[in-house]
Amino acid sequence: MSAPVIGFAGMTHLGINSAAACAARGFRTLCYDPDGRVIDGLAAGSVPVVEPGLPELLYKNAGRIRFSAQARDLAACDVIYIAPDVPTDEHGGSDLSGIEALIAAVAAQLGAQAVLVVLCQVPPGFTRRLLLPAERLFYQVETLVFGRAVERALQPERIIVGCADPARELPAAYREFLEVFGCPVLPMRYESAELAKIAINCCLVASVTVANTLAELSEGIGADWSEIAPALKLDRRIGQHAYLAPGLGLAGGNLERDLATVLRLSGETGADVALVRAFVHNSHHRRDWALRTLHAEVFSVSSDPVIGVLGLAYKEDTHSTKNSPALALIRHLAPWRIRIHDPVVPAEAARHPRTIACGSALETAAGADALVIMTPWAQFRELKAREVAHALRGHTVIDPYRVLNGAAIAAAGLDYFTLGAAPLRGTRQGEPHA
Amino acid sequence: MLEHLNAEPVKPARVVIIGAGGFVGGAIRRKLDSAGVTVLALTRKELDLLSDGAEGRLAQMLQPTDSVAMVSAVAPVKTVPMLMQNLRMGDAVCAALAGKPVSHLVYISSDAVYADDANPVTEASYCAPSTLHGMMHAARELMLKSATTAPVAMLRPTLIYGAADPHNGYGPNRFRRQAEKGEPITIFGEGEERRDHVLVDDVATLALLMLEHRSRGALNAVTGVSTSFRDVAHMVARQYGKGATVARIPRPGPRPHLLHRFFDITDCLKAFPGFRLTGLAQGLEIARRGI
Repeated sequence: MSAPVIGFAGMTHLGINSAAACAARGFRTLCYDPDGRVIDGLAAGSVPVVEPGLPELLYKNAGRIRFSAQARDLAACDVIYIAPDVPTDEHGGSDLSGIEALIAAVAAQLGAQAVLVVLCQVPPGFTRRLLLPAERLFYQVETLVFGRAVERALQPERIIVGCADPARELPAAYREFLEVFGCPVLPMRYESAELAKIAINCCLVASVTVANTLAELSEGIGADWSEIAPALKLDRRIGQHAYLAPGLGLAGGNLERDLATVLRLSGETGADVALVRAFVHNSHHRRDWALRTLHAEVFSVSSDPVIGVLGLAYKEDTHSTKNSPALALIRHLAPWRIRIHDPVVPAEAARHPRTIACGSALETAAGADALVIMTPWAQFRELKAREVAHALRGHTVIDPYRVLNGAAIAAAGLDYFTLGAAPLRGTRQGEPHA
Repeated sequence: MLEHLNAEPVKPARVVIIGAGGFVGGAIRRKLDSAGVTVLALTRKELDLLSDGAEGRLAQMLQPTDSVAMVSAVAPVKTVPMLMQNLRMGDAVCAALAGKPVSHLVYISSDAVYADDANPVTEASYCAPSTLHGMMHAARELMLKSATTAPVAMLRPTLIYGAADPHNGYGPNRFRRQAEKGEPITIFGEGEERRDHVLVDDVATLALLMLEHRSRGALNAVTGVSTSFRDVAHMVARQYGKGATVARIPRPGPRPHLLHRFFDITDCLKAFPGFRLTGLAQGLEIARRGI
């Protein structure tokens, strides 16, 4: 029996990465999207998302990948994944209309024995409501992480499969595909799998919220969260990979979507989800940390300050600005001039009336009263403290993610602000010691 | 969070201040006057909200293009009769607004509307007053919002201080007067409770900004910095020189359940990014000079 042919419908971040990993695992892969321009671009080698290693993976496995904008081509697939990213609104609500239309289009081409797998982010109850043969309809949890999507698609730690009847064996073609990843496959009810996805994200958010909460306390009592977090990771109950780095609230859209889903389900079931409301509240509170710091250090003393902002993407190694803390900050800097640089996202994305686009990180600091590093791109680590001090007009460096060496920044006479520790005040000629 | 219906500040056609003779109302009147805003200032002399027919007289004075700043209150509310008095005053304003629609309403409320354990307090904190004073403001907020179709903004100041404060409550105002008289500045116990103190001029400026932007929603009038009564007392003592002393006296009752109260002022920074709140040391100096 020949290896199954795997199809992926919906060529956005999730679909492209999943398809590339599928081909890399040796399967013939069909990439379908109803938008011919997207397909033409991919076929020509143009990848519409930023993801480390993805273009190389697609190129290396091009011989096994076929791109098509014709739904009928899916008829040759043994397994078809519904894999577009589901857009969310500003409150984390999902717009499912696109994938419902896609499922209808794909289902019409589904072969007599073929399997349809919903891979994208859907709320509990979605899969069972689909009017498709239950024994050939599955929901598979995706755990895509922006910036690490290739790694996670190639080497998942487990695969969670939602089924109509988890006691029934998975169809042969689908099973053959999943087994090649060499990780545990966990069949469960549709609803359990759909909630498992949300549960994973709630656990991640819980860790992040603990880190953010105690990092803020650290700032106030002279502790340093960066000294504490490694100790926690050595605790087996917490673990090496726990999300314990403090940040500027939740961003990217996926975590926010799952919290919004939990809150909505609470409204329908009466479950107590005060904890999840606290997650959301803390996220909003920490997102504005840089704004509060700017007001306290710069806007309260300078009448027409210039602010240098490094980074617009919501995290490093991605082009996504969904719920980006940088954009959230810039929205409230309207009265002031800002200098902007991001290695991937154009300055126009800031939509700020007084923007100066800069070609480099150091250029962004030139003449600014404060430098704010809102995305921890690796390139920004190359900034030298003395060069920053020389370039800045003022003396404030706001570096939530500790991209720079705070001690070196302070030694260069600048004031250094980061998450999880008290500010480091630089000593400047003619000013009293802080 | 406030929403500005005027993205850029626009001078209101006219502002009717109800309660213009009081500490806060007077400050708002002066602020509007200095900004060149046309004001109809109503003190108790022009309009006693507890008198018969007050709602009709107020309605006759209102124009559709008016903005209204409702400041009038018998405060602080310590008894049920005082609570009912304030609600009757609110009822009169509601009746007038229901019959005579206006363009905008700003209500000067209080941070007492929030639950004691809200910490740090934001505009999104739950309103769950634990005092009659807080309940009075919370009730009047709802009454006014339900009585008018105009956009309504609530300004919720914390402890207000300033030269003209009539209440002499525990804190900057009493400390200053004690120092002026050459008496020891007295703090209860260790004076360790930390509170936010806002200068009355800043409350007035925020009211002006809300009127100019035709804002709706809620905003706290706070500085974001909480200071212990002990530190406030020593700041005042330093202002008055060597003769001023700080003395501890026994608490009149048990230590307050609410030991410290902090505010997160992010909403204010977003609503009015160019506005700078007055720090306590500077504000105390302004109050001392009676400016």
